[in-house]
Amino acid sequence: MTVSAIEFSRLGPPKLRLYGMRCSGCGDISPWWEKFHCYKCGNDKLTEVFLDGRGTLTNYTVVYYPPRDFLGQEPYVVGHITMDEDVLMPAPVVDTALEDVQVGTRVKATLRRMKLGHEGDIYYSQKFVVDPDAA
Amino acid sequence: MRVGVLGIGKTPHKIQHSKSLRDLIVEAGRGAIADAGVSPSDIQMLYVGNVGSVGFNYENSTGLMAAHHLGVVPAGAVRVEAACGTGAWALHLGVVAITSGLYDTVMVVGAEKMNDLATVEATSIIAQAADSKEEYFSGLTFPSGVALTARKYMQVYGLTEEDLAHTSVKNHHYGARNPYAHLRFECTVEEVMKSAKVADPLKLFEVCPMTDASSALVLCREEILRDHPDKPQVYVTASQMATGTWYASTDTLDDAYRLFNEPATRAYAMAGVAADDIDVAEIYNSFAIQEPLGIEGLGFAEPGEGWKGAADGSTWIDGRVAVNLSGGLLCKGHPLGATGATQAVDIIEQLRGTAPEGIQAQDPEIGITACRGGPGAVGAIHIYQRLEGE
Repeated sequence: MTVSAIEFSRLGPPKLRLYGMRCSGCGDISPWWEKFHCYKCGNDKLTEVFLDGRGTLTNYTVVYYPPRDFLGQEPYVVGHITMDEDVLMPAPVVDTALEDVQVGTRVKATLRRMKLGHEGDIYYSQKFVVDPDAA
Repeated sequence: MRVGVLGIGKTPHKIQHSKSLRDLIVEAGRGAIADAGVSPSDIQMLYVGNVGSVGFNYENSTGLMAAHHLGVVPAGAVRVEAACGTGAWALHLGVVAITSGLYDTVMVVGAEKMNDLATVEATSIIAQAADSKEEYFSGLTFPSGVALTARKYMQVYGLTEEDLAHTSVKNHHYGARNPYAHLRFECTVEEVMKSAKVADPLKLFEVCPMTDASSALVLCREEILRDHPDKPQVYVTASQMATGTWYASTDTLDDAYRLFNEPATRAYAMAGVAADDIDVAEIYNSFAIQEPLGIEGLGFAEPGEGWKGAADGSTWIDGRVAVNLSGGLLCKGHPLGATGATQAVDIIEQLRGTAPEGIQAQDPEIGITACRGGPGAVGAIHIYQRLEGE
């Protein structure tokens, strides 16, 4: 993903907090990128709702060939995390050996350096670690 | 609906450092024009499917460039783009152009030149065919997005990685026999399992290579082909498109099924055939898991059963329906904008009886292509029939 400095100013800051988009029609929470209408019911009244940051890993993959902005982090885990608010979040899962990553693991969000932009800009965003309080 | 296939052409599918995007387009395009027995001035409209020339080759206006170098000026020309469904979309527009009655003879080209850049750059460009701004902020890539689908499929239907590996074994059996394929070697389940990890659980032999290639077709009104009984009487008899999920993360197995099943249902009705009538199929499989998903969406197997044909032989050349006798994208590679056009050319060769030795099915009459694009965003179905003497 290559972005301009101006686009970086739009994309980067919102990713510092974990949020979803709640539909005023059906009440479901969609991932953050659903800004324009609820993809489940079509309602166009959506409001940001901050998420508590805890969830369960429901699917994952290990990326061995990253895009340029994640270069150097491979191999890394990207998980589908079903947040406790019942919304799906794709995000890296870090600080865990690859062989210890399992579906069903409780995880929690942590603010980390996500990746580097092509102009040296640094993206911070939410990654996930195993939730130490869940054991 | 019947649209005549007057001519076909294609380049080898491989890494071609000595050839540019325009070289590939002209090679395939001239092949199709020669096969059709027309002159460039007979072409009234040119549709060029190309996904990423702006990124891969630092050039744009691919349709206009192609019109000049193919010598079809002043025919109308336009570039078509719909992620990995691009070539199939170019074909659809060609079919629509003929059936609309506006044009008698049109040309469809699909082309992609991917290997001028390093893998990491090309991977980033390919990622732009999905939501590279928001969803891929998470570190997802195209392979890893599909890997999540593969794991989901395995979880829901109780498959092992070995079960899925049979799909690659079948594709490589035929790819090894296709002189136009990028990867020409056979492999066993054990070799698939031992191949390098790309995006867990997908392994190298379950992932298509990046390929340089072009394929082209000359299409015409039914009457024009009927007036040339010396030419193979192969017609496009259905063309149906669909959109689906733009995000890999929220793409369910049901969504993946519908992406093909809805346009395929419309296409079967349009052609007046049933899934059971299909003799040969080319099904998009840039990643192995997409072949069983496609088999199920086309109605050749129930959901969760699509992987079995590669293991039990029913999707091999002498099975109930022969799937991907070309070796599929796993062996031909996936030159993004060319792929949908290549699938069409491969099926038309099958119906003409001119496919390479070892991959020619026994006298097939009805074929289908299923192309998809984006995480789950494009579904494109075409049906082809050999209709001699009708």
